[in-house]
Amino acid sequence: MLGMVGGTAVAAALAGCSTILGDDDGAVADGDADVPDEPIQAGLQTYTEGAASVLGLQAQYGAEIAIQRINDAGGIAGREMELDVAHEADAAVENYTQFVDEGKDVTFGPISSGGHAALAPEVESQGVVNVGTDGTVTTLYEDTVPDPTYSFRFQNYDVMECVTAAREAVSRLGADNIDSIAGINPNYAFGQDEWKFFKLAIEKLVGDVEVTHEGFPDLLADDMSTHITQVNDTEPDVTFSSCWGGDVTTLMNQAAANDMFDNTQLVGSVLYSAVDELGQDVVEQAEAFSGSRNWYWDFPNGSRWSPNEDLFQEAQDQYDVVPTAHFMSGYGAVTAWATATEKAVQLTGGWPSQEQIARSLEDHGFHTPAGYHVMGSDHQGKSNAYSGRMEWDDDLGRAVLEDVNVFTPQEVAPPIGTDAEAWVNSW
Amino acid sequence: MTDHPSTADDPRPLEAWGRSSYLPSTTTHDGERYVRVTRGMVLTPLRVVGWLALLVLFVAVPDIASLSSSIQLRVLHQGVLFGLAAVGLNVLLRHTKLVSFGHAAFFGTGAYTAGVLATHFDVTSMILLLAAATLIGTLMAGVIGFLSLRHTGLYFSLLTLAFGQLLYAIAQGQSYVGGSDGISVRPGDANQATLLGADLAPDVYAVVVYYLTVLVVVVALFVMWRIVNSPFGNALDAIGQDRTRAQFIGIPVRRYVLAAFVLSGVYGALAGGMYGLVQQHVRPESTLYFLRSGEILFMAILGGFGTLIGPLVGGIVLVFLQDVGQDFTNYFDALTGLVLVLLVFGFPRGIVGSLQSGSPLRDRAGALVDDPSVAGDWVQDGADALVAALSRAKRNLVVLVFGVR
Repeated sequence: MLGMVGGTAVAAALAGCSTILGDDDGAVADGDADVPDEPIQAGLQTYTEGAASVLGLQAQYGAEIAIQRINDAGGIAGREMELDVAHEADAAVENYTQFVDEGKDVTFGPISSGGHAALAPEVESQGVVNVGTDGTVTTLYEDTVPDPTYSFRFQNYDVMECVTAAREAVSRLGADNIDSIAGINPNYAFGQDEWKFFKLAIEKLVGDVEVTHEGFPDLLADDMSTHITQVNDTEPDVTFSSCWGGDVTTLMNQAAANDMFDNTQLVGSVLYSAVDELGQDVVEQAEAFSGSRNWYWDFPNGSRWSPNEDLFQEAQDQYDVVPTAHFMSGYGAVTAWATATEKAVQLTGGWPSQEQIARSLEDHGFHTPAGYHVMGSDHQGKSNAYSGRMEWDDDLGRAVLEDVNVFTPQEVAPPIGTDAEAWVNSW
Repeated sequence: MTDHPSTADDPRPLEAWGRSSYLPSTTTHDGERYVRVTRGMVLTPLRVVGWLALLVLFVAVPDIASLSSSIQLRVLHQGVLFGLAAVGLNVLLRHTKLVSFGHAAFFGTGAYTAGVLATHFDVTSMILLLAAATLIGTLMAGVIGFLSLRHTGLYFSLLTLAFGQLLYAIAQGQSYVGGSDGISVRPGDANQATLLGADLAPDVYAVVVYYLTVLVVVVALFVMWRIVNSPFGNALDAIGQDRTRAQFIGIPVRRYVLAAFVLSGVYGALAGGMYGLVQQHVRPESTLYFLRSGEILFMAILGGFGTLIGPLVGGIVLVFLQDVGQDFTNYFDALTGLVLVLLVFGFPRGIVGSLQSGSPLRDRAGALVDDPSVAGDWVQDGADALVAALSRAKRNLVVLVFGVR
């Protein structure tokens, strides 16, 4: 039963509450005969270079810190974790099969939706658990792998953040004040998926709206002025954008230069992902509302919820970044697996099989500094969704979210077994 | 493979070497024994052994891959498939001297055909998926070829690039084929294609599809050998050398070039269809993007576009290099550039081309074996060339800075 104590220490460490258990770190199990001695080998695939590394490195940092905390707490049933990181490139399936060939006990990632759609069926046939960090396409567990066993996803998915953005717009502006909308979204499946769900959700919330412009700039386009001109000409009440990373920087800089923010209210699902690149005047001019997926590092405030503050400090000290939602997706994916595995160790009294780990991940609830999460029986992790007004913070030298709204999974996600589109349509 | 005993010793035309039969047999010529594989294909015993060894190596790949985790069947398999597409592209490159920048279009069409049939029509038969992929890809090659071949040279290259990007944009934008997320090739209850009605376990599936690829590649290489050594192949050579003269001697240039283009499309589409079966998921970036076309072209050059199997070797080497490179450095893309530079300066005939008899590399290696002291001369020559280049550079710099005096 020493394993139980060690395992609970891991759970507490990952939740960021080292005080919960008192000081029994020394009581770590390693004497259990059925648990192998060698370290747990984990593989993470993420974007380590190129434009998408703005998100990808955050996921890597998050996963690394989670693993440090696991190892500091003595590992899972005495087994420490080692992480191998592969560049996602366009090779989600290849990276995964290589991990499996190398004998990895668990795999994490990928970031890209397309890669995730390609990967999930492969995970099902190879049978080594994969916990997706992002890859948020709505159809993954609706169409691509409708009945998964080994494939899981930690991050909130597209429909959740679009409904969050729509609810945010309505709560800030009032349903009566939204008569027209425009969309500027990246021209690939993610952007099209997001725009579709935002439009659907806001029409359900405020009644008929006029769509004044639907723009789909290419990923990493260096000019968005045509879309900005269109928005300026038609002055919609709300402009929705699911641009992320470098595209946010381009969009907001050019929009500021052309006074777009005088004519519309910008609401975005992942604008905050560009926080390390946005300048003060642009942020102040825009007063945009942005979602932050499943985590915002300053909510609840550090003085009220110290695990948040601790993780923020660790990210600043080790990597000098403001941790974003992608940081939490790396942290959370590792945590989901580690806490479920530790639970399985306790239940089986030995090292669990992949199938046993997979089964214990289903309906598994766990804490991280972001709060309480549940991995549903549909293999989709669901967490509170955050959204707030982007404002400049002089102390931090970056934008922060003020007046953060929190939406529970029940408000923004379809019930298990319900198709997302049918759910929004049923409102 | 195309080599046969020097006909200078034997005035008879090639066809006269055992005209009677298509079956393999041995034959004697000038007291030496040769193996006659089929009409026109006469090999020395050493070459036969070499080819058989290569075939055995090819067949043993799944076993080799199980030895080390850094060698993956899937990666080698992908290399073979891109190599097969490069073999097709080589018809244009080697014989008609046309450079296509859009060959991924056929590869992608083949892959997407398999994806659409599997996902939307639940076609489970591997053979049917492959046949359809080849057919649709060939039709696409016919259409693109008909429209692009109105021009030659740079304009032809740019047109192929344009059509390729057009298909890429369509695949990106259409939700029917999954947009940028792509479409899976996983039909049926077993979640994968079946071979002659048989469901295969996932690990068996990978190996079976690989052997199907081996079969396809062997047949495809043989067919390609027949074609390039036929009068049609000679006509393509003539067209490559001088279109106008080829026209004058009565070769219907446009029809023949279109035929060659479609032929290369068949190889690309077949390889693409197989790729769909291997990956079981098709995405625009990995199949249709113009950089893929560039890679296919690069594979042909890397392996040696003057040879039949060069492009295949190039494909395997490049894909393997990219995969292994990722394990060592984040700058693995730079490896491709480095290899290209090495190739252009050191081995302009590519890997296979450089190993063939008559190549500068073989000549040098031969000279070195005969008399190791030549190495010293080469170093001396290299040093002289370097000194000469530096003094030229100095002179140019002086002229640039101070003007001509």
